[in-house]
Amino acid sequence: MNSSPDPLDPLLDRWADVPDPSPRLTSEVWRRIAEAEATAHRRTGLRAGIEAWFSRPSLAAMFVACCALLGLFLAEWRVNQVQRERSAQIARSYLLLIDPLLKANTVAHNP
Amino acid sequence: MKRTLSVLLLGLGVGLATHLAYFHYNEPAAGDSLDGHLAWMKRELNLSDAQYARIRDLHQESSPRLRELASEVAQLQAEFAAFENTRRTTDKVDFIEFAAFVELRRAINERCIASTRQLVLASADVMTPEQRAHYLGLVAPSESLHSSHN
Repeated sequence: MNSSPDPLDPLLDRWADVPDPSPRLTSEVWRRIAEAEATAHRRTGLRAGIEAWFSRPSLAAMFVACCALLGLFLAEWRVNQVQRERSAQIARSYLLLIDPLLKANTVAHNP
Repeated sequence: MKRTLSVLLLGLGVGLATHLAYFHYNEPAAGDSLDGHLAWMKRELNLSDAQYARIRDLHQESSPRLRELASEVAQLQAEFAAFENTRRTTDKVDFIEFAAFVELRRAINERCIASTRQLVLASADVMTPEQRAHYLGLVAPSESLHSSHN
């Protein structure tokens, strides 16, 4: 008969002392499930909200009008930029027009 | 879903079309002609119609002279380049020709400076003090306005 102690025994003894699950385990599981469902619902809710928003003709028209206004604003900003660049360019070109020496030097440097 | 996409695309299309149409109708015109420059001056200096007409006359009067001077200066530079080339290749300097060239250049430079100054000052005379200050600031980089007559 083998009397040497089994090395698993202490481990099994320790496993026997597993503490009782927390009394809040069930509620915690349900809370996480509810949270996951709420997130999924929020995602579909947002899409549904956008669709509902665009299904109203007045709001859809407002969106299109806002796009037009944004287009106008960006165009005006672009016109101003081009105007500024063109103005500087014309100023340089005007100098060349009225100053033959400057014109000759410019041509000599940039043939 | 289909309706949402349609509205989004419609908005995008309308915004883009508005942008392009507005930019197309308001894009500043490029003009290297005298009229283009004068139109720019009118806008930039806020000239009245009478001022604009007088300044246009001044520029139109001096334009042929300035063009002729520019062509003379260009011709002189070409001659000088040829002279330099000859000097480098033959290592000989014709001092009489060089002196004549220097004298001619001095005379043309004086005429250029005088013509430019005359035009600038005559134009500035038509303007109000604010317009004049702005105009003189615009033409400040001109070499003729900073050169002396020698």
